[in-house]
Amino acid sequence: MVKFLSEEWIEIGKNYMLEKLDPVKDLKSITTSLLGVVEHIPPDDITMNFYLELEDGKLKDFIVNTGDSFEEKKAAYEIRGNYGTYKSILKGEMSLGIAVLKNRLKVKGSKMQALKLIKPLDGVILSLQKITDEFEE
Amino acid sequence: MTNFLSIKTFNNEIYINFYLEDTILGVEMTSHKVLALEKTSFKGALEIAKKGTHCGMCRFDFLGSGVCPAGIKKGFLAYWPQGRMEIVKQLYSGRIKPTEKLKDIVQSCNLCGFCDKQCNFTTQLRPEKVARALKEYVESLNESDFLQVPEDDIVKGLRKIVGEEWATNDPVIISSYTMTIIPKDKELNYYIVMPENEEQVSKIVKFANKNNIPYQPRSGGTAFSAAAPTILVKGISLEKGIIIDMYRFKKLEIHPESQTATVGAGITMFELQKEALKHKLRALAAEAGAHVCSNILTTGIISTWGNKYGAFADNFIDLTTIDQEGNILKHSDWERKNPYSTEPGFTNLCLSPNVIVTEAVVKLHPVWDDEKAVLVPFDNIRDAYRLLIKLGKREVGLSLAVLSRKYLAEFLSPTLQISKDFNYVCKNFLKLNYVVSVICNKDEKKVLEEMVDYTIDEALMKSLILGAPRFSDLRDSEFMKILSEEEDPLKSIFAGPMRNHLEKALDPSPENVAQVFDKDLQDFFKKIYSKPEMTDIVWLHAFRILPTRMMRQQMFMGPGASMWTDDEDHYINWIKMFDEMGEKYKLEHSLGFISPLDHGKFAYMEYDYYYDHNNPDECERISKSLIESMKKTLIMGKGLTILNYLFKGIYRKEHVLYPIPKAISKEEEDLFDELIDTVLGD
Repeated sequence: MVKFLSEEWIEIGKNYMLEKLDPVKDLKSITTSLLGVVEHIPPDDITMNFYLELEDGKLKDFIVNTGDSFEEKKAAYEIRGNYGTYKSILKGEMSLGIAVLKNRLKVKGSKMQALKLIKPLDGVILSLQKITDEFEE
Repeated sequence: MTNFLSIKTFNNEIYINFYLEDTILGVEMTSHKVLALEKTSFKGALEIAKKGTHCGMCRFDFLGSGVCPAGIKKGFLAYWPQGRMEIVKQLYSGRIKPTEKLKDIVQSCNLCGFCDKQCNFTTQLRPEKVARALKEYVESLNESDFLQVPEDDIVKGLRKIVGEEWATNDPVIISSYTMTIIPKDKELNYYIVMPENEEQVSKIVKFANKNNIPYQPRSGGTAFSAAAPTILVKGISLEKGIIIDMYRFKKLEIHPESQTATVGAGITMFELQKEALKHKLRALAAEAGAHVCSNILTTGIISTWGNKYGAFADNFIDLTTIDQEGNILKHSDWERKNPYSTEPGFTNLCLSPNVIVTEAVVKLHPVWDDEKAVLVPFDNIRDAYRLLIKLGKREVGLSLAVLSRKYLAEFLSPTLQISKDFNYVCKNFLKLNYVVSVICNKDEKKVLEEMVDYTIDEALMKSLILGAPRFSDLRDSEFMKILSEEEDPLKSIFAGPMRNHLEKALDPSPENVAQVFDKDLQDFFKKIYSKPEMTDIVWLHAFRILPTRMMRQQMFMGPGASMWTDDEDHYINWIKMFDEMGEKYKLEHSLGFISPLDHGKFAYMEYDYYYDHNNPDECERISKSLIESMKKTLIMGKGLTILNYLFKGIYRKEHVLYPIPKAISKEEEDLFDELIDTVLGD
């Protein structure tokens, strides 16, 4: 169990998804990439990004950086929200879908297309919930 | 495990307070059982409180009889009659314990009785009895029974923004917002803040973001209260965080030269309408208690006046909004990215607003001297619909709608029982099932009268209002039995020889209506029903003080929304689908109204399911009917559901209603199911 957005979180998250998730059964063989922008991270009110890429349901890339932009890769979707929202999702208090529908997470691009991804991404969220137990307060 | 007991006397009655603390599996759980609540007056109060539907009619002066002075002064919902009713429920359930603020809440009430008059008019409830019982209960407690609520960093921060008295973390005050933005089973992990200008709202949003706390604005709370007992509660309510109560935004300016009004987020439709009328102007009319800005934001103003006055963004010149970063923006900022468009399609659902509207500049419309109200009665929906759409396409009428028998009965009847009898008489004897209701000028009236055989004129409508109790009594009369055997009972009674007999039988007068109210309120209601506006059908259509009677002592949910009108069979089948859904889930149900939009190309339809909001089984059936009917609407195509309307009111109707929705595919149906799972999900 590790801290959200830490180096360790990336490593353990990657390994967990590669080992435990079935590309077909759990990730519905999706090919997509997603940039999660996490704003207002305490205590210094910074922004961090995590980039996640899946190909045929297999995790291809998982990167975290700090800053207002992420230039390394171009993601198909961008979701943006504050730290508290991501924390609620990773603590299982709120689903990714409801965060989008309640405008807590803003989607760049077609909302319809983004909502279609919610089900396949369930496995990823569940994995991240299982490995994350520490948050900034 | 700790138990303790305190006994004291008050007003020669004995109150027993019994506290129980349990420690279970190392987790301390405290339940505060206050047996004093079992006292008869409190139990009676509880019964009244449970029937309250948070209609909010106690928060503005719609009868000209005064409005709760404590509420006006203090603002927080807890100080209003509806809030006190909720507090009684929350105290009784043990969800809250008395706090120091509770003393202030009861002391602020001088038992003036204004609330009884207002509430009795719409719901026949007596909130003053609740306030009295709450007062007696609080006065029976010991000083040590009241909790001190410490100020935390968040409430300190909020108070820095709005001032000491306008932010709170007091659980009693917070609990009064239950069912109007807070779900009934959530931990009271909230703050209430009442800003007075957009700069303060902006600061609150920035403060909430910095502290990673969710927030949500609230005005009248009526949309929340309709959703609260249903599955929509999870999506629409606030799960924790800061409730921004917009009550203090009281700016209201009429600009006669431009026929516009500047309206703050704390202004109700009634208040706007009243000011506009002083200048012979009228706003697009939502129900009286709807707050103008939040109504625009939530669904757009849905009204029978929409075909002529417009829908969605047609209704405003400008909005002042606060976005999710706390930026203050105006729709009129010319450099701004288009704020009027939204992604089309059925999946573009929003369960929370993405901006807070603090002020709107709305359009007003002239009130003409020759305006008339005309009702055209029908026994079947198809003929009523056909006339409605014909009028809509020809743009005849300012206000234009099919109203169901149930609506007529609820609106015109002063009590619940009278409404039931009224409904029975119309259904079984008159075959009066629908009316096309038209507010029009005298030229349009001529056009309309040429199109139909007969109408119900204003004089007869006035008689039906003042004679509603007698009309209901006719359910057992020979007169009605004879009438029902006529070939066309509607024609006989509204345009034939029976009309005079009916007028006589109704014996319409303010005295007769007043007699059906509680004895101590009869003089008051005689005066109220003597006021010209109470029988002025045009005024009643514009000020909409009667629709709240649909919520008397029970809740209703009105799914529906807009459908393309050109395919008459399709539209009628849509209504039938809602009817079948009501039967399937064993709910009291009825068509509410249909009103054309956009030159009669679309028509908004509300189909109502009535239910006891205290009955979990009925709430579950309502939820199922809601979801199933929305899904079927999308499968049928050419229509949008009420869910698709949510938080779309700030956009242009052309972006919301067009392109005309096609029937969804099987794949999209599955996606809809997934979305609903998301809303419902554990």
